[in-house]
Amino acid sequence: MTDSKYFTTTKKGEIFELKAELNSDKKEKKKEAVKKVIASMTVGKDVSALFPDVVNCMQTDNLELKKLVYLYLMNYAKSQPDMAIMAVNTFVKDCEDPNPLIRALAVRTMGCIRVDKITEYLCEPLRKCLKDEDPYVRKTAAVCVAKLHDINAQLVEDQGFLDTLKDLISDSNPMVVANAVAALSEIAESHPSSNLLDLNPQSINKLLTALNECTEWGQIFILDCLANYTPKDDREAQSICERVTPRLSHANSAVVLSAVKVLMKFMEMLSKDLDYYGTLLKKLAPPLVTLLSAEPELQYVALRNINLIVQKRPEVLKHEMKVFFVKYNDPIYVKLEKLDIMIRLASQANIAQVLAELKEYATEVDVDFVRKAVRAIGRCAIKVEQSAERCVSTLLDLIQTKVNYVVQEAIVVIKDIFRKYPNKYESVIATLCENLDSLDEPEARAAMIWIVGEYAERIDNADELLESFLEGFHDESAQVQLQLLTAIVKLFLKKPTETQELVQQVLSLATQDSDNPDLRDRGYIYWRLLSTDPVAAKEVVLAEKPLISEETDLIEPTLLDELICCIGTLASVYHKPPSAFVEGGRGVVHKSLPPRTASSESTESPETAPAGAPPGEQLDTVPTQGDLLGDLLNLDLGPPVSGPPLATSAVQMGAVDLLGGGLDSLMGDEPEGIGAPSFVAPPAAAVPANLGAPMGSGLSDLFDLTSGVGTLSGSYVAPKAVWLPAMKAKGLEISGTFTRQAGSISMDLQLTNKALQVMTDFAIQFNRNSFGLAPAAPLQVHAPLSPTQTVEISLPLSTAGSVMKTEPLNSLQVAVKNNIDVFYFSTLYPLHILFVEDGKMDRQMFLATWKDIPNENEAQFQIRDCPLNAEAVSSRLQSSSIFTVARRNVEGQDMLYQSLKLTNGIWVLAELRIQPGNPSFTLSLKCRAPEVSQHVYQAYETILKN
Amino acid sequence: MISQFFILSSKGDPLIYKDFRGDSGGRDVAELFYRKLTGLPGDESPVVMHHDDRHFIHIRHSGLYLVATTSENISPFSLLELLSRLATLLGDYCGSLGEATISRNVALVYELLDEVLDYGYVQTTSTEVLRNFIQTEAVVSKPFSLFDLSSVGLFGAETQQSKVAPSSAASRPVLSSRSDQSQKNEVFLDVVERLSVLIASNGSLLKVDVQGEIRLKSEEKAGLFLLSYGPGIRVDEVSFHSSVFLDEFESHRILRLQPPQGELTVMRYQLSDDLPSPLPFRLFPSVQWDRGGGGRLCMGCGFPGTDCSLLPCSQALNVRLHLPLPRGVVSLSQELSSPEQKAELGEGALRWDLPRVQGGSQLSGLFQMDVPGLPGPPGQGPSASAPLGLGPASLSFELPRHTCSGLQVRFLRLTFRPCGNANPHKWVRHLSHSDAYVIRI
Repeated sequence: MTDSKYFTTTKKGEIFELKAELNSDKKEKKKEAVKKVIASMTVGKDVSALFPDVVNCMQTDNLELKKLVYLYLMNYAKSQPDMAIMAVNTFVKDCEDPNPLIRALAVRTMGCIRVDKITEYLCEPLRKCLKDEDPYVRKTAAVCVAKLHDINAQLVEDQGFLDTLKDLISDSNPMVVANAVAALSEIAESHPSSNLLDLNPQSINKLLTALNECTEWGQIFILDCLANYTPKDDREAQSICERVTPRLSHANSAVVLSAVKVLMKFMEMLSKDLDYYGTLLKKLAPPLVTLLSAEPELQYVALRNINLIVQKRPEVLKHEMKVFFVKYNDPIYVKLEKLDIMIRLASQANIAQVLAELKEYATEVDVDFVRKAVRAIGRCAIKVEQSAERCVSTLLDLIQTKVNYVVQEAIVVIKDIFRKYPNKYESVIATLCENLDSLDEPEARAAMIWIVGEYAERIDNADELLESFLEGFHDESAQVQLQLLTAIVKLFLKKPTETQELVQQVLSLATQDSDNPDLRDRGYIYWRLLSTDPVAAKEVVLAEKPLISEETDLIEPTLLDELICCIGTLASVYHKPPSAFVEGGRGVVHKSLPPRTASSESTESPETAPAGAPPGEQLDTVPTQGDLLGDLLNLDLGPPVSGPPLATSAVQMGAVDLLGGGLDSLMGDEPEGIGAPSFVAPPAAAVPANLGAPMGSGLSDLFDLTSGVGTLSGSYVAPKAVWLPAMKAKGLEISGTFTRQAGSISMDLQLTNKALQVMTDFAIQFNRNSFGLAPAAPLQVHAPLSPTQTVEISLPLSTAGSVMKTEPLNSLQVAVKNNIDVFYFSTLYPLHILFVEDGKMDRQMFLATWKDIPNENEAQFQIRDCPLNAEAVSSRLQSSSIFTVARRNVEGQDMLYQSLKLTNGIWVLAELRIQPGNPSFTLSLKCRAPEVSQHVYQAYETILKN
Repeated sequence: MISQFFILSSKGDPLIYKDFRGDSGGRDVAELFYRKLTGLPGDESPVVMHHDDRHFIHIRHSGLYLVATTSENISPFSLLELLSRLATLLGDYCGSLGEATISRNVALVYELLDEVLDYGYVQTTSTEVLRNFIQTEAVVSKPFSLFDLSSVGLFGAETQQSKVAPSSAASRPVLSSRSDQSQKNEVFLDVVERLSVLIASNGSLLKVDVQGEIRLKSEEKAGLFLLSYGPGIRVDEVSFHSSVFLDEFESHRILRLQPPQGELTVMRYQLSDDLPSPLPFRLFPSVQWDRGGGGRLCMGCGFPGTDCSLLPCSQALNVRLHLPLPRGVVSLSQELSSPEQKAELGEGALRWDLPRVQGGSQLSGLFQMDVPGLPGPPGQGPSASAPLGLGPASLSFELPRHTCSGLQVRFLRLTFRPCGNANPHKWVRHLSHSDAYVIRI
């Protein structure tokens, strides 16, 4: 007989049949019936109706049947809490059973039943099981403490289970130790401040001893725990390393990586002169190499980690280049990672080998891989100077293949090579120009335009080439447009006579016909520069460019250090800090490498990644947008002009004039310059009318809005609402509200006694909530509350409590106790009490962050019927710690860019669009944790409408 | 910590669903995972996927998806290791891993999961330890019979073609033996090596490495084994299973082990760069490329019989040469050295199948292809350099009774038997197969 018949379609009387079978006298029949029930449960059928019948089968001495019933209970207890209570007695009895398997089973299952009522019955059995004579029961009980803590943290603390758990770290059985460590680590994470896992040399020693004895999974817990310890000096670090090193040859890759993490972290404390340091370096390589022979999934995860290790300590794997050679049957994700590591390891010693490989890869079929290979050749050229020539000729060979994507990729990297080695390889420009027509990707087009502009004086038909691009100016992507603008201005500065028309054309295209503010702004800047001081323009635009650094796309050192502490975790796969993807407060404790505190101090400075900010891909003459605009505004812009805007034709005129003037001074020493009259100053009215208007009102506002900061008033306070009506709380009525004043949150309560007896002994407690709100002081009602009396209390709150995401996000469950009873109620707190006072973001930071947050995290809301104007909105929001970072006026609408920060460090960026005369505002919110957006919107509504 | 574990059939139906922490979104998660997986472009799924705060890690095994989810920053290695251990464990307990066996043994699988994971913490994955706790017996589809030994394949070797028939012994659950005590006791010991080679177009060897494994499967709790391989064999990297005692390893290459029931990898080793024997295959490709009729390609490939390590008495099976061709190849004419072979075009590549290659033999093939779209060689006249898109050639093969490292098991001895059972049948097998054997053209 097989179980497959359990999956037959539901007949009408199936539940009844099962019921009958469950109540059968025969054990076998019962067992089969419970199995059927479980099979139905798995495929999603609702068999909760059978709860009482299944629970009836619980009292049996047949272990198999018991296990099956317990399995069922775990699944349905939550939906049937009242029924679950029925089972409690059996649980408690089973915890006393002579058979350790049954004792463990009972305590394990009770922990999994997440019903509040059960927890109080769990305490006594758990206490016994924690001290059980059988290690199997003890290790199960250790985990159970963590389970209970998740359901009711306070209970666990009150009952003293945490201390018992700490004692278990010294248990004789390694499995018990491992589970105790795991449970404590997890509990400690939700209480970052508490010193639960008190790591000291003695306890570390115990852990290291247990490490040798416990199972591979236990070893992982222990190693991860060790990694959080900071040894007091290099001797201790070395002795720990010595005892961890044998784990490197373990067959389980998770053990290996956890060991690597400990070693990488503690190595930071070792002096490089030490012999041991060298030995350790040598020992790290083989296990990492071995990981690359595992299945592709593991390989990928390993490669992501190796990528970090290589950035931190390239010397570990410098002799292992060959293992990173790509195999033809590697999945593409493995190939790309290997390529990345090959570049990082490339050096003068192995460059020939690497280049030969890369050239092979560039002729493969997989497009993504080929592109990356071509790019890699360029990076080799930049990294290893001796190889540059060979790289360039390899790239030229590849261009000869005429394969479209290879050519484009090659041109992009050749541009970088030109930046690194100016005036060295310009002979190849002719070849590049031949391929101009085949370029259809923005990046390649932009690169080519950059090359033409940069070397305009050596390319005879540079103007023709650029002009050909100009024809379809509006169809180009922004990247190409910007590049084209810059290139033509460069060309003009180099060959002023022939290209005057061209530059006018591009400037007017950029400033008048474009919707892109970046492009328009850059256009105005060039225009203004050329008109006021062409010599200065030359100095600015044709300035010597800083050399690009060898390594691009390095992870920045502080992040790298944090990621090194996260080796062998998900963070190391995403290359993001854990706080970026782990929910709420958990694991947000930033980890950092230990400083080198050697007892025998060596003077050598710790090696960090090469300093200097790596420049981005953008190779413009201008550093970054933000800087440029900022600089520009520091120049004298003149007073904003309030006169009526002039017609476009006037500007055209002005442009001609100013270019005329520019030309003159450019060619000042040429006797037969253009026969234009002497320098004509741009008419003060004409230029600012068009240049000044957007700049004067838009830009200056955007960057000079610092007024009105620093009003340290409290945020908006809602009127008190009744939270707990007297009817529900035996006469106690509670109403209240939340306030935030000068950085501290409090809960203002009004307690009214509507009963006939005196109330005393008040106490308050919060359930875990999304932002860790917790009372910062006990509830103090000084005198007993006599009937009809009302007392007002302000209860200070902290946000250091334990965190659990609630639904909705801003709900708070509160328990209030007095001498009569305990009452529970739940309320919603307005999110703005969590907006911190230093939530004003730097402007550039704002720009960068706004771009960085993916668009799917953007949420849009309408705020209706708000009669305020932009200033009033801004100041009102500011008093609730929503700060206006910048403000600009676009097409008559006021755009406010605002930032705010929550107590748990989450930033929310907002764009508020206000149309004069229209009481409806549009609010766009961007945040890395999009679930808060809705509540932030509600906070806006509340603040603006009250 | 692991939040959930589930097994999905290849169609995405949940076969097993287990929630360990009670904090996650229920069964929809399984559906969400499958939607994410099938919504991906291409057939190579990322190892780690995430949706909001939930991270998915999965492996595919026998057509099933084994998925673990977590919401914390934990080790993806431990999840991947755990999943593959679970696959082995479920195979051990249910006989084989498959949709049918899983749904027949739902209760057993849940029982196993409860013992392996508690609150998302891994407790143990050892078949041996778990045996003390597991009560449910596996339901097997048909009684096991041990007659056709010829079909007994290598349980450990997942060769590229996966042509090895699954062993009937291997599909018997380890624990169902209570009922059939009369069965003969069997022990399998396999030495499996994977060979990756990279040969440059000028014939020089760029990279060789051999990854080997010694795997043991015993049906019963088998007692203590002594196992030894010839001294003088060099391996670069070795790792051993935790049940191996190494006191005599350094001096005599003797491994003493007390294997748990089921399957285990006794030793894993690696050998790179210097092989003790020449490569099993040599390939000498030559290319001619001319403009005749819009691009014609002549390819000659030869396996010389000498200069390789295949002894005349040994043979290679399922040899296949795979050669990617430039886009747009329309026709192929071929001249092969033996009628048993077959070459055909497919998926932009040439496949030349040689079902059986006797050691020491010499083979050749001449292929001529028309490629209309192919631009002519850079110079005038025919060119001997490869056009873009041609190659590299890769070979896949199996070499039974052959190890590239030269490692041979000298003896396998059972020194201690638990309960007066008859001496078990011992099977020792050696096999090498290709992992990536690439010859650039």
